[in-house]
Amino acid sequence: MKKLSIILLVVALGFMSCKKFLDINSTPNNPTAVPPTVLFTNTTIGMAFANANDLNRATSAIVQHIAGVANQTAAYDVYALDGSFDNQWNSEIYNGCLNNLQVLIDQYSATSPAYSGVAKLEMAYVFSMAADVWGDVPYSQAAQGLKFETPRFDKVEDIYQGNATLGITSLFDLVRSGLADLAKPSILKPSVKDDLIYGGDLTKWTRAGNTLLLKFAIMLTNRNPVLAKSTINAVLAANTFINSNTLDFEVPFGSSVGNRNPIFDFNNNLRTGDQMLSSRLYALSQSLNDTLRLSKFFTKPANATNTFTAFNNGSTAAVPALATRSKYNTYLTGAVGGEAPIRLLTNFQVNFILAEAALVLGTTGDPNTYYQAGITASMQKVGMTATEISAYFAANPAIVNLTGTNAQKLQQIITQKYIAWIGNGIEAFDDYRRTGYPVLALPLNAQGDNPNVVPTRLPYTPNELSRNPNAPNPRPKTDVKLWWAL
Amino acid sequence: MRKITLTILPLFLLLMGIKAQDRTITGKVTDRAGAAAASVSVTVKNSTLGTSTDKDGTFRLSVPSTARVLVFTAAEQEPIEVIIGNQTYITVTLLGKTTELKEVVVTALGITRDKRSLGYATQSLKAEQIADKGEVNIINALQGKISGVNITGASGAAGASTNINIRGITSFNGSNQPLFVVDGIPISNDVDRTSNTLFDNQPANRAIDLDISNIESVNVLKGPAASVLYGSRAAAGAIIITTKKGGTKGGRTEIIVTSSYAQQTATGLPKVQNLYGQGLGGVYNPQSTSSWGPKFGTTPTVANGLIVGGITQSYQAYPNNIKDFFQTGSILDNSLVINGGDAKQNYTFSVAYTKNKGILPNNDLNRANIKFGANTTLRDKITVGGSATLTNTLQNGIVGGNGASALGVLAGLARSIDLTSYKTNGTYKNPDGSNNFLIANVENPYFGAYENTTKSNLYRFLGNVVFGYDIAKWLNISYRLGADVYTDRRKQVYAVTSIRNPGGQIIENTIARSEINGDLIITAKKNGFFNKNLNVTATLGQNTNQRKFQSVFLQGDGLTIPGYYNINNATTLTNGSFETSTSRRLMGFYGQFSFAYNNYLFLELTGRADKSSTLPTTKSTYFYPSVATGFVFTDALKINNNILNYGKIRASIAKVGRDAEPYQLKNVYVTGGYGNNVAAFSFPLGTTAGFGTSSRIAPIEPLSPEFTTSTEVGLNLGFLKNRITLDVAYFDETSKDQIINVALAPSTGFASKTTNIGELSNKGTEILLTVTPISKTNFKWDISANYTKIINKVISISPGITSFSITGNAFGGSVPSIKVGEPYGVILGGVIPRNAAGQRIINPATGQYQTLVAGQVLANPNPDYSMGLTNTVSYKNFNMGFTFSFTKGGQIMSFTSGLYKSRGVYYKTAEDRELPRILEGVIESPAGSGNYIPNNIQISAQTYWQTLGGLQSEFNVYDATVLRLQELSMGYDVPVDAIKRLKINGIRFGVFARNLFYVAPNAIFDPGVNTQGAGNIRGLELQSAPNARTMGANIKISL
Repeated sequence: MKKLSIILLVVALGFMSCKKFLDINSTPNNPTAVPPTVLFTNTTIGMAFANANDLNRATSAIVQHIAGVANQTAAYDVYALDGSFDNQWNSEIYNGCLNNLQVLIDQYSATSPAYSGVAKLEMAYVFSMAADVWGDVPYSQAAQGLKFETPRFDKVEDIYQGNATLGITSLFDLVRSGLADLAKPSILKPSVKDDLIYGGDLTKWTRAGNTLLLKFAIMLTNRNPVLAKSTINAVLAANTFINSNTLDFEVPFGSSVGNRNPIFDFNNNLRTGDQMLSSRLYALSQSLNDTLRLSKFFTKPANATNTFTAFNNGSTAAVPALATRSKYNTYLTGAVGGEAPIRLLTNFQVNFILAEAALVLGTTGDPNTYYQAGITASMQKVGMTATEISAYFAANPAIVNLTGTNAQKLQQIITQKYIAWIGNGIEAFDDYRRTGYPVLALPLNAQGDNPNVVPTRLPYTPNELSRNPNAPNPRPKTDVKLWWAL
Repeated sequence: MRKITLTILPLFLLLMGIKAQDRTITGKVTDRAGAAAASVSVTVKNSTLGTSTDKDGTFRLSVPSTARVLVFTAAEQEPIEVIIGNQTYITVTLLGKTTELKEVVVTALGITRDKRSLGYATQSLKAEQIADKGEVNIINALQGKISGVNITGASGAAGASTNINIRGITSFNGSNQPLFVVDGIPISNDVDRTSNTLFDNQPANRAIDLDISNIESVNVLKGPAASVLYGSRAAAGAIIITTKKGGTKGGRTEIIVTSSYAQQTATGLPKVQNLYGQGLGGVYNPQSTSSWGPKFGTTPTVANGLIVGGITQSYQAYPNNIKDFFQTGSILDNSLVINGGDAKQNYTFSVAYTKNKGILPNNDLNRANIKFGANTTLRDKITVGGSATLTNTLQNGIVGGNGASALGVLAGLARSIDLTSYKTNGTYKNPDGSNNFLIANVENPYFGAYENTTKSNLYRFLGNVVFGYDIAKWLNISYRLGADVYTDRRKQVYAVTSIRNPGGQIIENTIARSEINGDLIITAKKNGFFNKNLNVTATLGQNTNQRKFQSVFLQGDGLTIPGYYNINNATTLTNGSFETSTSRRLMGFYGQFSFAYNNYLFLELTGRADKSSTLPTTKSTYFYPSVATGFVFTDALKINNNILNYGKIRASIAKVGRDAEPYQLKNVYVTGGYGNNVAAFSFPLGTTAGFGTSSRIAPIEPLSPEFTTSTEVGLNLGFLKNRITLDVAYFDETSKDQIINVALAPSTGFASKTTNIGELSNKGTEILLTVTPISKTNFKWDISANYTKIINKVISISPGITSFSITGNAFGGSVPSIKVGEPYGVILGGVIPRNAAGQRIINPATGQYQTLVAGQVLANPNPDYSMGLTNTVSYKNFNMGFTFSFTKGGQIMSFTSGLYKSRGVYYKTAEDRELPRILEGVIESPAGSGNYIPNNIQISAQTYWQTLGGLQSEFNVYDATVLRLQELSMGYDVPVDAIKRLKINGIRFGVFARNLFYVAPNAIFDPGVNTQGAGNIRGLELQSAPNARTMGANIKISL
């Protein structure tokens, strides 16, 4: 019996020491709090990655910058888009960038608005990217965790123009709120260590914010020219926007494995055989005597006789041998490999926007001046020398000067913008749907929702469709036009 | 005590002195009830000497001095051996099947119980039912033999893991694998993953470390009532394994040597066509991965691509190019067991070595086990015992998965590719070591197999110490301490120019797990408690459990020197490198009170309270009870006639709680990263760090344990003196307050939130029928048949959430999911829209199907029912057994067959290939009218099959109904007389086969695979290895 008592005592001790014994549930594997710096670097890369990864491949194939020759890009090339883009929607946009931008805004608006300011600008950029490719998307209720478990799909027009009744802040106001934050005193500020784009120079962020207003305004030419014009004129008057290539809003990448930009990682590392130069783009470039610039975007394979090897979109003909294909060149992939920046807002873009705005909306300035400045900025950007640029201008007066009707002039502007944006299919896809330029012929063997029409949007993604009852299911087909489209 | 010893000693010496003489032994045999057992054969072992008992059960036999053992054989009875020693009068009690189901089973915590007293279902298998059948993984050896259990192997690759679920799936997110307990100690049966399950090498489940030849018995505790004493860990049931021990041969030392060799071949590949080769649209293209090229023998032209630049291309069929990639595997298995001692002091020692060369190139599993165990009884009151097992398991496998892997490329390999020559000539790599294949940017399957490898080197220690003390005759206290510790050092390499990691990659992954488990058990027994017919057993216990896990994962990318796989050859070490460590502890207190009235009415009350480290302190203690009762009505009502001799009804209600995984309670941040296998970024960017919120939101409300409640009723019947027995169980289990990472709409910015919600129901019927059509001394035939039907249904998830994906890896478009109203694990994806009549709708613009509707049920992997049938026949010294398994229904989605179709490789794609096709379906005509006409739009055979194939297609879903000859074995025991001069007690020769044939009427491949192996994701075949067929022979020598 005595022994039994001892045992019971041991058991009782077991009870008592239990609490400490069991208090081992804090994770050693992950931090539970982090400084804003590491969130900011993450969102910046995420924003660029989302822009340059699969959304870029799909839109670049649709606008026929490239021709898909194998796997997923070949499917995009012929408009077989269904079932794709879960990774982009889920892990790049909503649960990669926007969730962390929301954390920056929530945690730092009060004490360090420099961080909420840059976060709001990035957020506006990322939301516009989503709304431009998919149309109505979760916006005002998105990326706020359990606050809205089934975010509403806000209409494109409400995202661009706001809707007080529904509590939707417009993209313009989001940018303005970010610009206001940047002007406030801030305890913590981005620095050269975490501001990958501007090294902590907030005045450059202010320029980027104003440039975003230009980018958003030009989207409204078909639907709200009044707002577009007033916005652009206001930005021009303030004169604080990206007006030099050195101010371009672009995200740097690295050249070591895992740090490379997705254009390089896909085309030069993991899926080297999936896509190449489109013969449609090649033909356009030839017609504009612009193949020197094209050679900055696409390679001329060394073993060929210094010519491009392009492929017709949707063709089922034998694909040229890998080594002979024209693929993205170092302007987009980086001279070392992967370190080329992802360009999101550029001086050439601003000039083409202002040329179009002056032409179509009657904003301040001369369309032709802006147009030429845009071409020059693009050519400088890709690395053409001043001599090469002036030679091109001298040899091609009909191309570098706006001529003909307003529609023809617009076609010239958008065509040049389309070439300048090679490597950023989303921008070219936006302009195509908004203006109809450049005129694209259907690919061979088109499939998809409607093989007779260039897609006007990307299909919603399976995960969001199956998990969010507010998502339109069945989804709209890819021939349903967006609100701002022509 | 000492006096007795002194008395016995001279007597013993005296007997020693007379042992050379013949002597006469008399004795009596009785049955359980004490009645005389007549006609029991009594023989001297290893001789022809013998007699039988008379009607009084007595016998008299003169035996030579060399005789050591008497064998008593009676009908319906396993032979009983009795060591003669110095006895001259021997009494034997027949315990066996003579009149009732006396079967001792090992229940929870190693408590041995008379099966008749149990109020719940268990099923046990003995050594001979699992060993020597050519199987390496213990779980596979149970296939088809146990009711209520579903077992599916990942594939036939050596070491591939096997999934086991008992009574269906009860937890949305938690593990649904049963607890494995070896000699009273819970052990890990985890599958440790080094890669994503879509791309890995099918690593083993850790029960594979057990040496099958050293297993004495396996007992399966099916429901919560049976396993409640194990607590949370056994919420999904328990597999109780008892290994061999010494002392069972009454003092004689037993030495058993077994050796077995088997060969393995791949089976279940889809049938191929060999009429058309590489190309598209009837045009030869050596860069194409498809076989839509011109027909073999077609006159070469420029148009059909067979003449290029004036040169006629070499173009012919290689009919075996897929099949020949798989090699003949082998399993060599050797073991030595030495058991000695008697019931009080005994030891066991065993060594075993298994070498399994897989059916895939560069795929093998080698396992070595050494075990030592000993038990001793001191002063008749104290028992001390323990055992230690050291295991070394080496697994070498090739990475799998879609696209850039050997098996991914092999699935639907073009018919005109001479793959074998790359192997014979060693040209799968270029002289500089880089990948060489006809098709640019496609990995040569041999390059994938030989250059991109995963090696695992595991050392495991299993040890236990048991201390028991009989404080009084009625009171025993014991403590059992066990440890299961292993370290698995893995190295996974991707060669430079591999398609998945062109820059090359080295992963050094060290996985360490340890589990320490201690049980203090106090048992009190009292017969004649208040009433002379009432026996009571009370058990009180305390359990302490600690589990630790650590995975150190070092990833080196960008190899400078090809072929040099030292981490110092990598240029980047920060991508994906991490350490994950988890610790969890649990303390449990439990009690069990068993009442037996007249040995026919049984009641058992059990309760357990757990306190877990993984739950918030306010919710960390939880209690769950169970009640089980059994009533042997044949005894109570004195029914014992020749037809019905045994009958029992039983019922139980039980509840089991389950805690959370560690570290679920707080939100965390994770290293930033973007992309997937086609383009990826990971922080740090140079030296700049990046972090983001985890995609999971921690619980807002304190997390509480999840509970499964089970109600079970059962019936046991024995007919014709137990020549026929029936064991039927019906169970109804409900699992509530599931701890789920419930999926959120991605637009919330998160993928999931952890919460207690949801309800899952399992209802099922299990039937076990045994029939002994023939039972004679020299001729015995046993049939054992089982039937399992489980209806699983997701009752609810969370308001507003109707479905979400199972934790794990999936390809978008075919996502294993939990969906309200459906069984657990349905695969959701896009399905073709159908009209009201259920006909698929065709897009009039293309002649192909309309845009898919997302998020629909594509496949349900849960079978309708399954059956197993085992026959065992022994005739004189010959015996044979075979096990059929039959699974009805359940669906599997197969990427392999999808590619066979879309790539024009499946044999049917060659039938009338030049003729156009019309897809089965209807066209809405006129558009918007709701009126449908049959599809009349012709498309090419290529387009047709591409529509029916590809990776994401509802046409890749196949009915997994399969009848399989799971096991076949034949043996011959060399007559004792022939070998006794060699001092050998027995020699047995055997031959065996596994998976000898299968019939899957509705699938074009063997559907008995599950690519992602053990886990909650089922019903997917993702270009994995096929199943294996095994045939071999063995020899077993007992000394």
